[in-house]
Amino acid sequence: MTAAVRSSSSPALLDVAEIAISFGGLKALQSFSLALPPGSLSGLIGPNGAGKTTVFNLLTGVYCPDQGAIALDGRRLHGLRPHQITAAGMARTFQNIRLFGELSVLDNVQLACQLRGRPSLTATLLRTASAVARERFIRHRSLELLDVFELRDRADEPAQSLPYGHQRKVEIIRALATEPKVLLLDEPAAGMNSGEKRQLAQTIRRIRDKFQLAILLIEHDMELVMEICEQITVLDHGVTIASGTPAEIQCNPKVIEAYLGVDEE
Amino acid sequence: MTAVPAQFDHLKPHAAASAINALWPVAVAIAVGLVMFYGVGPWAGGYQTNVMLVIGINIILAASLTVVNGFAGQFSLGHAGFMALGGYTAAAIVYYGSMRAWGSADFAGGALSYSGSGEFTGPWLGRGDVLFLFACLAGGCVAAGAGFIVGQPSLRLKGDYLAIVTLGFGEIVRVVLQGTPDQISPWQAKTALDVPAWKLPLMLGGPKGFNLLPIYSTLFWVYACVVLTLIAIYRLKLSSTGRAFLSIREDEVASQAMGVDVTKFKVSAFVLSSFFAGVAGGLFAMSIGAINASELGFQKSFDIVIMVVLGGMGSISGAVLAATILTILPELLRAPPPVWPAGLALLAVMVLVQWRRGRWNLRSLAVVAAATILLEVGRRICLAKGINIADYRLVLYALMLILMMILRPEGLFGVNEIWDYFGARRQRIMHVGQAVAGTDE
Repeated sequence: MTAAVRSSSSPALLDVAEIAISFGGLKALQSFSLALPPGSLSGLIGPNGAGKTTVFNLLTGVYCPDQGAIALDGRRLHGLRPHQITAAGMARTFQNIRLFGELSVLDNVQLACQLRGRPSLTATLLRTASAVARERFIRHRSLELLDVFELRDRADEPAQSLPYGHQRKVEIIRALATEPKVLLLDEPAAGMNSGEKRQLAQTIRRIRDKFQLAILLIEHDMELVMEICEQITVLDHGVTIASGTPAEIQCNPKVIEAYLGVDEE
Repeated sequence: MTAVPAQFDHLKPHAAASAINALWPVAVAIAVGLVMFYGVGPWAGGYQTNVMLVIGINIILAASLTVVNGFAGQFSLGHAGFMALGGYTAAAIVYYGSMRAWGSADFAGGALSYSGSGEFTGPWLGRGDVLFLFACLAGGCVAAGAGFIVGQPSLRLKGDYLAIVTLGFGEIVRVVLQGTPDQISPWQAKTALDVPAWKLPLMLGGPKGFNLLPIYSTLFWVYACVVLTLIAIYRLKLSSTGRAFLSIREDEVASQAMGVDVTKFKVSAFVLSSFFAGVAGGLFAMSIGAINASELGFQKSFDIVIMVVLGGMGSISGAVLAATILTILPELLRAPPPVWPAGLALLAVMVLVQWRRGRWNLRSLAVVAAATILLEVGRRICLAKGINIADYRLVLYALMLILMMILRPEGLFGVNEIWDYFGARRQRIMHVGQAVAGTDE
């Protein structure tokens, strides 16, 4: 496979080698490979039900692949539970926003931030100096992150009371707060208007540059994907039908067929 | 825990401040205990003192159940089971411990645990108090161990299914404790030395209950424990651990994706919560000098759940308020006092809060006003016809819950504390946020 070849030449941050999973008789994903170099921005596209979110669920440990291997920064992720994979440096957002609605925006971010060190239970109950310092540090980091996205003044509001676009942003901030090496964005532009989408494209680029991470995004909006992704993988019915630069993808007949159907004549 | 990076050393509080942080809860606990014991108790009288003891124990139970049901969102219906385990453990340690140590199960405490009539001459603390405190802690630990075991199914089960499992646990505890052999009676204390030590913890009185225990729980001990429990749980709520609990309640999948070890936190919620329930059980047994598993069955668990639900899932002060109200209510219903002053006061507070927020919720005001009128009319009819409302206590509870679910399903205060409604929380967060940001330069 191309991914294996590429990964041998330049070490990939995330190396997915021929993973597959089936649910009962349904082969949801077959022999899927992917290599994300550090600082790359890649896209995963395909019609509805192609298996895109399944890929994310496999990468983040929600499902365990039937075959194949996933390695993050040289470390194999096989058999790790979702929170361990997050700790290893893989963070994600969700297609249908999954913020902790009743918690404040700040708490949402702090929860993710505390992954990189939180005071023990005894230290918390005794409120030791190191526990206080750690909690303050978590708050500080979280507010800093909210600042980057100009959301500090919403920090106290319950996450569910934010407008939709802001909620999407908070999801991304929350994922960033876990200090990931690889960021997986599941349809970040869903439900946004064209102005918001343009802003989002800038935001995604900015995140990549500022936080030095590899980004993989699932997106239905072709314009956005073609604009910002350097590498695109196309899935259809669980099979990788194409992979390459946006220009290559755009004129790939298989992709056109998958999206528009076969011309019967 | 990894240390905070060196450039953030200024976030670390002064060593003296952190010593005070660790110690002031104990000081406050002792102070509150003393005030309750020497001030409020003698002033209020014997009957009221007993009611206050029950209130204190119920506060500990409700506040501790808030950790599991409120914070972590795992619906447990077996809290009385943990209380029973802790209570019997503590009772056995105090009862048989005193028999083996000083040959009788009589009271051997100091002035702080003396609740009999007549003057007490002696030190503040006696050898019995040490045993009593150790017993309550041990009771808490045994209950916490049971919490660890009961926490395991919660990893696989959700909602109704978990509720059924915890319900089953409570019933198992009750039935097993009711099946234990008779206790050694106080006048046969000497024989306790002949019975092998491992057998003693099993002789818990069975269906007759474990009786004639020395009485140690006074307002001092109960309210000192209330204060410590509340401070511990409040600190928990504001910490990373509490945040992790809440995130599990809100969305387990997202919580995992943010690196929360859901398994570990669910179990630790059960362990913590049952520890405090176990301590409450010990205080309870030694407050009336008896503990009977038949009274600590499903009905008791349900009473505690009602307190948590009514106060608000996750609100500590709400649980305290609900525990107080629901403990006093049956006492009040025996001779119901006029309702309208309380209704009027509640209306006044609501008007004040809504005025301060600048947001008017006329419906809620109308509901409170209507309820007050309804209750007052009901009270007068009952008084005129000579109906004893206390007999219909459970009907009233059920009605209250139904109304609650319709009008305010998140409970009186939801996840907030009472003072959050007066704007304190928002200001504090902004304040700390700015203070931390200000240290950047």
